[in-house]
Amino acid sequence: MALQAKYTELINAAKGGGVQNLQVREQDNVLYINGDAPSGAVKDNLWAIYNKIDPDYRAGDLVLDVNVSAAAGSKAKVTTQESNLNIRKGPGTDQPIVGKAAHNEIVTVLNQTNGQWWLIKTDKGAEGYVYSQYLTPQ
Amino acid sequence: MKKTVFIKAIAVLFMAGSLQLTACKNKSKDAGSSNTDTTTVQTQTTAPVEIATDDSLTTGVRDATKDYPGVNATVDNGEVTLTGTIKRDRLTNLMQSLHALHPKKINNNLTIQ
Repeated sequence: MALQAKYTELINAAKGGGVQNLQVREQDNVLYINGDAPSGAVKDNLWAIYNKIDPDYRAGDLVLDVNVSAAAGSKAKVTTQESNLNIRKGPGTDQPIVGKAAHNEIVTVLNQTNGQWWLIKTDKGAEGYVYSQYLTPQ
Repeated sequence: MKKTVFIKAIAVLFMAGSLQLTACKNKSKDAGSSNTDTTTVQTQTTAPVEIATDDSLTTGVRDATKDYPGVNATVDNGEVTLTGTIKRDRLTNLMQSLHALHPKKINNNLTIQ
């Protein structure tokens, strides 16, 4: 219960921000917060609060797994730092690169294979898996 | 006369003893029923947290840290430990990727530049 008190502001922001399937559990001195965020802005806000309560995420007492999902056929923007995004044959960095999506390019999400890898298609027709951290649902 | 006093004393002791016994009995009964209530509530609200296997975490961590050349990560019994260096403006993105892998916990020992 002590950890829930420490992260009260974060839990309330998740509830207030419309996070679906929200679960808050404490196990072996770690707090686990899971759910589906309705937008990237809500997720970013939760991480800003987390970083405020525990600067630079040093305490190791929270696992914050609140992610934004994109429906099949929806659009997502490539939000790499500045480089192109690799499109791979399969879901993994050990898979061969079959194409690239440019920084800021808008692509179509075909399938969310798992939390990390999404199957996408570019307007030029390149199709394959990209690391979802570099996609922002539109 | 002495005998009567002795018998009375025994009777008082006996009564006191039986009162105490009854009190204990009620107490344990109450404690027992409240324990049952607590157990019921817990099973209704708490499902165990899903922790990824070390194999799956190792693959996930490799993918997540690929674009962070200064960062080293090890996986042990569900715990991900980060060492090395990272720029502050990239720390949150890396942590977001790692937290989504269902680790048991993340030990951030990174030097932040």
